[in-house]
Amino acid sequence: MIDEETLAQMNGKYVCPPDAGPAWRAAMEYGFDMSLIEASLKLTPEQRLAEHQQAIDFMIELQESGKAHGAK
Amino acid sequence: MAQNDQALLMRLKDSGLEFVVIGGLCVVYHGVPVATFDLDICCPFGEDNIRKIESAVKDLNPVHRLTANKLPLEQTRDSFKDLKNVYLQTDLGKLDCLSEVAGLGGYRQVFEQSILHRMSFGEFRMLNLDALIVAKTAAGRQKDLDAVRLLEAVKEKKTQRKDLF
Repeated sequence: MIDEETLAQMNGKYVCPPDAGPAWRAAMEYGFDMSLIEASLKLTPEQRLAEHQQAIDFMIELQESGKAHGAK
Repeated sequence: MAQNDQALLMRLKDSGLEFVVIGGLCVVYHGVPVATFDLDICCPFGEDNIRKIESAVKDLNPVHRLTANKLPLEQTRDSFKDLKNVYLQTDLGKLDCLSEVAGLGGYRQVFEQSILHRMSFGEFRMLNLDALIVAKTAAGRQKDLDAVRLLEAVKEKKTQRKDLF
């Protein structure tokens, strides 16, 4: 049986780390997905840049595919 | 249109240009995963340095991307000495070269607030986290201020956790 809290997390509820400081909490309350920052901080700077490049490549491909199919 | 920042960085380095990476890529470098579609650098200006930029991208069909008729870089050599910024579109993506950064100052000030980072494709200078926060705050657009909120959170986390970079 899955408890309510786990179910909420499965549905996307972010659990703020207990050691989160005021800036972290403020960004979270502002609406940013801090799980993305946590994941990024687990990478080395070079890995972050490589992930960014992959994301940009994909977005450009999507954009060009959209143009080719007449998207405005 | 492609955006290959690594290839552009390597070409700039090979040209002998001194530069510091600023802007969105630097935000990513410090741990905030935003999407950025140009490479921003700060470098010393003057004719010699713009010629180095030109040599780095000359086979990439560089044009001044903000001019109405997309002037080819090579056709504007007479103006190199008068430029304070260069905004290029190349076959490897957008490359913006600035002589100064709002909130920080000119190249020398930017250089002094940069860190040298060794990556598998070379050593590059990146704006340090504190200076990036100052620059983004000074830039003041909504996307910059959003980045500042996240950079402040990253800074706080890195202060708590010395193992994070």
